[in-house]
Amino acid sequence: MRLPTPRWRHAITALCLTALATGCTPEQVPAGLVYCSEGNPESFNPQLSTSGTTLDATSNQIYSRLVDYAADKGAIVPALATNWHISEDGLVYNFTLRQGVQFHNSERFTPSRTFNADDVIFSFQRIVDDKHPFHAISKTGYPFFDSIGFASQITSIDKISDYEVAFTLHDPDASFLSNLSSAFAVVLSKEYGDQLLLAGRPELIDQYPIGTGPFSMTEYVKNDHIRYHRHPEFWGKSPQLEMLVFDITPKSGTRLVKLITGDCSVSALPKAGELPVIELHETLQVQSDPAMNVAYWSFNTQKPPFDNVDVRQALAMAIDKQNILRAVYRDTGVEARGILPPSSWAYNDSLKAQEYDPKQAMKLLEQAGIKNLELDIWAMPVGRSYNPNSLKTAELIQSDLANIGVKVNIVSYGWSVFTQKLNQSDYDTVLIGWNADNSDPDNFFTPLLSCGSIASGTNRSRWCNTEFEEIISQARQNTSKLERATLYQEAEGIMKSQMPLVSLAHAQKQTLKRDNVMQLPVSPFGGIAFADLTIKIAETAN
Amino acid sequence: MAKYLLRRLNLFLATSAVLMLVLFLATRMFPVDLGVALTGVEQPTQEQQQQTIKAYALDGSGFSQYVAFLQQRLGGNMGISMTSQQSVAGELVDVLPASFELIIVTSLMALALGIPIGVLAALSNSKATQNVIMALTLTGYSIPVFWLGLSLSLWFGVKLGWLPISGQLNLLYEIPRVTGFVLIDTLIADTPYSMSAFKDAVLHIILPATTLAVFPFTVVVRITRAAMANVMTQTYVRAAEARGLSTAMIVLRHALPNALIPVLKSMGLMLGAFTSYAIVVEVIFSWPGVGAWLVQGIYQRDYTVIQSGIMVVALLIIFMSILIDVLHTATNPLSRKELYATN
Repeated sequence: MRLPTPRWRHAITALCLTALATGCTPEQVPAGLVYCSEGNPESFNPQLSTSGTTLDATSNQIYSRLVDYAADKGAIVPALATNWHISEDGLVYNFTLRQGVQFHNSERFTPSRTFNADDVIFSFQRIVDDKHPFHAISKTGYPFFDSIGFASQITSIDKISDYEVAFTLHDPDASFLSNLSSAFAVVLSKEYGDQLLLAGRPELIDQYPIGTGPFSMTEYVKNDHIRYHRHPEFWGKSPQLEMLVFDITPKSGTRLVKLITGDCSVSALPKAGELPVIELHETLQVQSDPAMNVAYWSFNTQKPPFDNVDVRQALAMAIDKQNILRAVYRDTGVEARGILPPSSWAYNDSLKAQEYDPKQAMKLLEQAGIKNLELDIWAMPVGRSYNPNSLKTAELIQSDLANIGVKVNIVSYGWSVFTQKLNQSDYDTVLIGWNADNSDPDNFFTPLLSCGSIASGTNRSRWCNTEFEEIISQARQNTSKLERATLYQEAEGIMKSQMPLVSLAHAQKQTLKRDNVMQLPVSPFGGIAFADLTIKIAETAN
Repeated sequence: MAKYLLRRLNLFLATSAVLMLVLFLATRMFPVDLGVALTGVEQPTQEQQQQTIKAYALDGSGFSQYVAFLQQRLGGNMGISMTSQQSVAGELVDVLPASFELIIVTSLMALALGIPIGVLAALSNSKATQNVIMALTLTGYSIPVFWLGLSLSLWFGVKLGWLPISGQLNLLYEIPRVTGFVLIDTLIADTPYSMSAFKDAVLHIILPATTLAVFPFTVVVRITRAAMANVMTQTYVRAAEARGLSTAMIVLRHALPNALIPVLKSMGLMLGAFTSYAIVVEVIFSWPGVGAWLVQGIYQRDYTVIQSGIMVVALLIIFMSILIDVLHTATNPLSRKELYATN
């Protein structure tokens, strides 16, 4: 039998030729950049969140602040406020605002006026004033501001003229400007807020953001991507990228593969074990930036038996930090002795490292009368800049504690569920960490360990110590760096003796990028700013 | 035929009712409050609680609760997702087209390649060709799909860098969503990038579709071959040969239509396995379809998403297998004859 091929052959050849011909035309890709990020933002307003994922997706991209912190100069620089004046008693901060700053334009909102003092007052009154119509919209509160006691710190925020605002404080506060420069202190549009309030949907202000930042958010598809477009009337230097896309990819391995195949040009938070793969590919680079962070293991000190100092000390003694540094961080982290990273100006060189002594730990547990201790370690499902692999860290702690007869269960959920459940605070212990929001050392103490921050949810140890509290509030009111440094060292001493948390490591912030990304500015606080990124145009990835 | 269709409809309704009953009972076993599992509202207000009790007849008997559950679910009210706080039905509408697109492309690939190769295997006189084809299909049939997916993405994505291995489209293309089918949307989009976006979408679908197509392809080849070999020995084929018809005419006109009937039937049987493979493939290639969405829902303990995902996937399988059954009967006079005999 003969098969009827000849007539088909022409058709097939023709088809193949067309395919070849069209296949050869150069690919046209819109100018832009894809960033592989690690998770869904919880909200599009950084005032409501402390997670780095949310900050990356919002703060530097969509919004601007009154003042910025320039890491290279180590100083506060003008942003939406062109200059400021502090009264002699340190209580009144007077800001002169930039004129002609345009808000984003979206399908929902067309601004009719430029940025002015009303927007500043609106943004901060929302946090401070619990009668403000937008205050209660946030279900999570304002964690960063709650943790530093922002509302009780401020007496009033007054409009002096359209382009002048005065903040009056209760007590002098050396960290006030630093706090305003943090990624959380963004400025929203009052006009947009009023419009939403009138339409009866005020909660949309945090879902469909309007800001004055370099990019406006145009589309968000959960679990998939966030799309931003360049803000044509941005007040600062116009960004090179026309479009910015966050490709939401929770698995670190998938992010790496997407980077290799060119689906994204920049990728967040590699695991230490993945770095050797990068060396195999010529077009890929690792960028390491110093970061102000600390990874720690927090005990829920309001839950027995973790309310007992001896138990906490014993558990701290029983874990082998060097091992964690080797396995989880490889060469990308340093051991944490206290809570301040070495790059902080209040860092204490003479602080001793926690000793690894399982025998002593067993003895301590025995003295405390604890037998057959069983505990949960909550570990984050996604890598964070301060801990690239929490699950692995948890497993290492699990095996260390097994040596002293403590049984460990590891608990983990998807990131957004994890933070939600964490806020219900019925955990035993949790592996988490902190990225500094600004250069002030207070940013490590007040949010993480003060009594006030228990309610705001950043004090995961739920620990409150009056002596410690006294010292850090003294340090906050003091303006002499030297005296403050001594006070913070004293505070770290109390922390070490009480052990509400075991600090593990300070990590470097690592970002992967393709070699056409020339300059990728990553600040030690607050994350990536894509506005300042430059790429080589000739070679846009396909 | 009308009576037959009615009986099939009956079967569809009965099976679906049982499925819904299973879901209804399973909903009660979720480790959250029943109202939360049904609506997805985690902190309901007093008013919302009352509404839930009313809508799902929670104060009524077990049966009336079941009926209320059916009414809500089949009326399209699947509650809101516990993680995103968006309507589950809306999310489903977003993810379904991607799955359909993948499945349609895969089926076309499997049929377009499987049938000719099956025919070739049946007609070939060379033992070697037959053996090679059978050996290959048996291998293809036995390869686990997760391994195949990972290997293909490792080779063609990572090592060779020829094909993209995740998602539907390079995210830099901004394509307005019209039909939900990316291959169509890119073509009709009014941008200068339309054509290159289409090409990009084609490149993106190659690896997932190939991975998923291997299993149905091998089944189609094997069944076509067996059926074809059987048909070619029938007397009417020999009669056609004796009348001097060309081989092409005999195969295309006389033999193939009859040989395809068992292929159709086997496709109906394959649906269940095929769907679970599709879910695995969606997860491996980050394909934004129902499967990936459902798995994500499971990871995040999103009970409303889990329920609705399972419901929709299962209902689709039931519907498709009954549809294939009906098609099979409609195209096959022999099975209609059996049908009449049983009536």
